[in-house]
Amino acid sequence: MRTPVAYFLLLSGILFALGTVGVLTRRNALLIFMSVELQLNAVNLSLVSFSRMHADLTGQVLAFFSMVVAAAEVVVGLAIIVALFRRRSSIDVDDARELRW
Amino acid sequence: MVASELTRLVDTAAFGPLPLLWLIPALPLAAAMLNLFAGARLGRAAGWLGTAAVGASFVISLTVVNQLMGVAAEERLYVQHLFDWIDVGSFKVGVDLRLDAISATMILVVTGIGSLIHLYSIGYMRGDPRFGRFFAYLNLFVFFMLMLVLGQNYLLLYLGWEGVGLCSYLLIGFWFDQVANVEAAKKAFITTRIGDSAMMIGLALIVLRFGTLDFDAVFGAAAGTLTGGAATAISLLLFAGAIGKSAQVPLHVWLPDAMAGPTPVSALIHAATMVTAGVYLVVRSAPLFELSPVALDVVAWVGLITVLFAGTCALAQVDIKRVLAYSTISQLGYMFLAAGMGAYHAAMFFLVAHSFYKALLFLGAGSVIHGMQGEQDMRHMGGLARRMPITALTMTLAAFSLAGFPLLAGYFAKDIVLEIANTNERWGFYVFGSVGAVFSALYIGRMLFLTFAGRTRSEAAEHAHESGPILWGPLVILAVGAAGGGLLSSNPEGLIARFLEPVVGLVPEGTAGLAEPAFVAVAVVISVVGLGVAWWVWGSGRVDWLAVRDRLEPLPRTMMAGWCVDRGYDLLVVQPGKALSRIVAFVVDAKIIDGAVNAVGTGVQRAAQAGRLLQSGFVRAYALAVFVGAVGVLTYVGLRA
Repeated sequence: MRTPVAYFLLLSGILFALGTVGVLTRRNALLIFMSVELQLNAVNLSLVSFSRMHADLTGQVLAFFSMVVAAAEVVVGLAIIVALFRRRSSIDVDDARELRW
Repeated sequence: MVASELTRLVDTAAFGPLPLLWLIPALPLAAAMLNLFAGARLGRAAGWLGTAAVGASFVISLTVVNQLMGVAAEERLYVQHLFDWIDVGSFKVGVDLRLDAISATMILVVTGIGSLIHLYSIGYMRGDPRFGRFFAYLNLFVFFMLMLVLGQNYLLLYLGWEGVGLCSYLLIGFWFDQVANVEAAKKAFITTRIGDSAMMIGLALIVLRFGTLDFDAVFGAAAGTLTGGAATAISLLLFAGAIGKSAQVPLHVWLPDAMAGPTPVSALIHAATMVTAGVYLVVRSAPLFELSPVALDVVAWVGLITVLFAGTCALAQVDIKRVLAYSTISQLGYMFLAAGMGAYHAAMFFLVAHSFYKALLFLGAGSVIHGMQGEQDMRHMGGLARRMPITALTMTLAAFSLAGFPLLAGYFAKDIVLEIANTNERWGFYVFGSVGAVFSALYIGRMLFLTFAGRTRSEAAEHAHESGPILWGPLVILAVGAAGGGLLSSNPEGLIARFLEPVVGLVPEGTAGLAEPAFVAVAVVISVVGLGVAWWVWGSGRVDWLAVRDRLEPLPRTMMAGWCVDRGYDLLVVQPGKALSRIVAFVVDAKIIDGAVNAVGTGVQRAAQAGRLLQSGFVRAYALAVFVGAVGVLTYVGLRA
């Protein structure tokens, strides 16, 4: 018996909400980064779910693309965080607010 | 009463000097350009170059007019097409030169008297640091004046019209290191511009009605196309231009001030040629004016009022050149009086005679000023006849001619105008015209006797001396014209009248007023008695005229100020104009227009000041904004679906 698609989507929604809350509330750049990954994976999950629901592989292919892009993004993002830490000995995003009015 | 259309003399012009017509304006233009760019290096040769160019134009004019005279009267029209100027749709304007009786008369006057004045200027302007520049302007003026009178359409006429205005401006303000000269130049330019603007509207109306500016096309279609009202409107608008250019009341105020320019300029531009352009315009546009009796009446009345007005002003001037300036205004009034009565040939003859004796008077005045080391106030002159005999003699001839002394050119000129006015229908013109003649005799006699007769009244006058031959030479030649010009037209059937008749027609008949002998007697008495009284008061030394003048105050001072018209214009036009300018400059421009522009700037700045506070620098705040925005967009899209 197949699990209904709605469960996957619900899980995806919960994961995305958790990720969003994490992005909005965390001050540690690494944790924000992890939350973003969580959001990405939530979306991947929904893509795969819809792919299964419509019996169309396009969604799964897109999920792979999204993972590849996410990997690349992780590289760039972590590099930025490392550079930030080297410069200011802190990765608290609220400290890094020179670019304002 | 305009004559039938002339047939164009195109075929017969294939041979003979007529095709050289274009050289007449081209030579002065070439000399002007040479003098403009190389005048400083040419030194005194600049003057000879300018004189030679105008002189050559005169010679060509003579040969060309001679050929024109050789054909039958009805064929005396030659049009030379040089090139197309404007060709837009159905509207075409070509640079075409027109030689007929009117323009032939004008080019002879312009180049003939012009070359004499150029010659005189070589002596008069000697030592001026901008000698070459002076001749460049003078040549340029002659070019524009020739284009004005030779143009075959109103646009060329207008080109010349504005061109001579420009040269007049440049030459009045030639000595621009003195503020008064600059202001006089500005005044001349702006005052004539008032008339020019009206004239331009007139030209626009002509284009609107006829679709062309070509003289032949316009005049040929005029009678069939124009209704009375349109003819009156066009004629009066054109005449407004003439009023400005020819310094008629009420736009006469610039001419007395224009005397700030060098004296040869006054002689050439403000006596002999440019100011007569208005008369030329009216005579040329006769077929239009003839369609509107109202317009003709206006022309005549403006002329008559100017004769009387300027005549009284001239009586009280103390500056020798200002006497002549007001005299010119007054004499131009006679020309318009003649034209307004439909006596175009009389106007043209008056123009020719006047340019002789008035150019001579101005050049003579220049010679006097030269001899007096720059003094222009006649109260400081006197007794110059013995010290400057040639100047005195030639100026006497010219003055007597202007006063209408029998058998001199001015006598016949005035005589013809008054004889045409001497009818029962036009008796007003005759009576007031004769009164004007009394003024003429008085003021010119006064100028003559104050300058040359009596005792010397200043140190400078004691040491005055005759000018060199380059100055008195032109005086002598002009004196011949001023004295003998009457031979050209001693009666309404005279040479000029017969020459012009095929183009301008003859005067409408009226029932004669005064009988011929009585008429002649009146004319002679006016001039002789006028000059006699002038001699008794200002020349004989028997009347203490300075005391009389003091007793009559403030009348002489008012007349000297031109009946305070200037002050009236100042109060009515200039001051309100300045006040308006101040409002526009300091309120409308500075407050409203600049204010609006600045308000836009400060508004953007304020908005930016407020808006940049959104950039808190908190990454999480931005993330929240992105999230809220995304939710907002998704909600919107979802609700719409």
